[in-house]
Amino acid sequence: MDRNYHVFSDGRLERSDDTLRLVPDDGGEKQYIPIENAEAFFLHGQIDFNTRLMSFLNDRTVALHVFGWEDYYSGSVMPKRGQTSGKTVVNQVRAYEDSQHRRQLAAAIVRGSIHNMRTNVVYYNGRDHDLDDIIEELEAAAARVDKELPVDELLGTEATARKAYYRSFNEILPSEFQLSQREYNPPPNEINSLISFGNSLVYANCVSAIRATALDPTISYLHEPGERRYSLSLDLADLFKPVLADRVLFRLVNRNQISDTDFETELGSCLLNESGRKTYTKAFEETLERTVEHPTLNRKVSYQYLMRLEAYKLKKHLLTGEEYDPFQRWW
Amino acid sequence: MTAADPVDRLLATARGEPVDEPFRVTGVMVQYYYVCERELWFESRNLEIDRENATVVRGTRVDETAYSDKRENLNLGMISLDLLDDGRVVEVKPSSTLTEPAEMQLSYYLWYLDRVADIQRDGVLAHPRERKREPVVLTAERKDKVETAIGGIHEIVSQSSPPPAEEKPFCDSCAYHDFCWC
Repeated sequence: MDRNYHVFSDGRLERSDDTLRLVPDDGGEKQYIPIENAEAFFLHGQIDFNTRLMSFLNDRTVALHVFGWEDYYSGSVMPKRGQTSGKTVVNQVRAYEDSQHRRQLAAAIVRGSIHNMRTNVVYYNGRDHDLDDIIEELEAAAARVDKELPVDELLGTEATARKAYYRSFNEILPSEFQLSQREYNPPPNEINSLISFGNSLVYANCVSAIRATALDPTISYLHEPGERRYSLSLDLADLFKPVLADRVLFRLVNRNQISDTDFETELGSCLLNESGRKTYTKAFEETLERTVEHPTLNRKVSYQYLMRLEAYKLKKHLLTGEEYDPFQRWW
Repeated sequence: MTAADPVDRLLATARGEPVDEPFRVTGVMVQYYYVCERELWFESRNLEIDRENATVVRGTRVDETAYSDKRENLNLGMISLDLLDDGRVVEVKPSSTLTEPAEMQLSYYLWYLDRVADIQRDGVLAHPRERKREPVVLTAERKDKVETAIGGIHEIVSQSSPPPAEEKPFCDSCAYHDFCWC
């Protein structure tokens, strides 16, 4: 039930009996896509669809994530779940309104986020790179995280840590691919565009995970609610970006699987082209399917399912008062 | 004023009388009371279960297909039950493990019919996959047991947090498993 499908071509996605069919505009062959194991569709091209398709996807609880101009996330069509839970939303809002409770959750997210950044840096530290100073900076930032701090200071601490973390990219990646500085809207160079693309995929997957619970995706704790897009998804995505997006980026670039021919460069902007996106999403989806032994569920779970579990953990905390322990890579 | 007895509150709620704090008990809540108190608490909060869970899918399928031509759904506000064409109340379960919870769920339906609608009926617990049917009659002893259960349910759902997780042999197949243990 947890496969993502990415559609890059232009065409029409339609229901055909009890399955899905993609009819490309260029007159190419029709493609049938099994819906049974689908979690979500990611539409990167120009796609037509109708309400019949929507009802079908709704019945099968499959989401559509739409990417628009220059592959920026532009929205999702989510299945209406059998149940929604007013109680969950009420508790979500209460936790936000209670500034102590909000700070506690925001601090947990920052703590997990810094931990996961640090894990990446530590991994590359022994491998011909000297990243000790960056590890120190991350540890210093982690030590400042305190649930008594106001949320804007927690955000600031996260930003400081992320800045230090991004400096490690210049060490880890070959010299022709340098990040220099994190920028977006639009990304000015290759690494920035890979980070942006990867983050948008993590973000959309978190949207799916949140919507599989009755949590409201606009009520968040670290980010300001509804500030941009689904802010709760921004909260959760912070925890997963280092584990998912950044590791895929390092792997692809260091193994020369992505090169300058995978980008379209224009004045002041650099974006992945279709072949680059295909290479990236393939590696990203493979990563989502990787599994790891879960310490309390007593079975292996996929990286993708970790996002769902994170939404469950938050919801459980909000409804039961049991402690929320953020996702921190344990392997 | 002290809180009214849970049974009285439930009856008043069911009869549509004005109640300060309505108290509702569904059939499945009675079942969970005997299976897992934590699951009962989750259910009382309308916590969404994992509908893709294999046990849930199987149970729903068995329920939807068994005797579909011979039974009729009767919705009575807080409970929804199935009547067989001979007038008995039927409760369909995919297997006969956890019999006591299923019997008590059915007993609750019979008690509810008796107390709320003044209709006396017998019940039958059906396990179509095992080709088994067991009669369930609302004896005085079962009536008492139902009323004790209502009190116990009231106590659990009134708590602001659920009873702590406790590992049970059937946890693995529970729809709340991942939610409970993550």
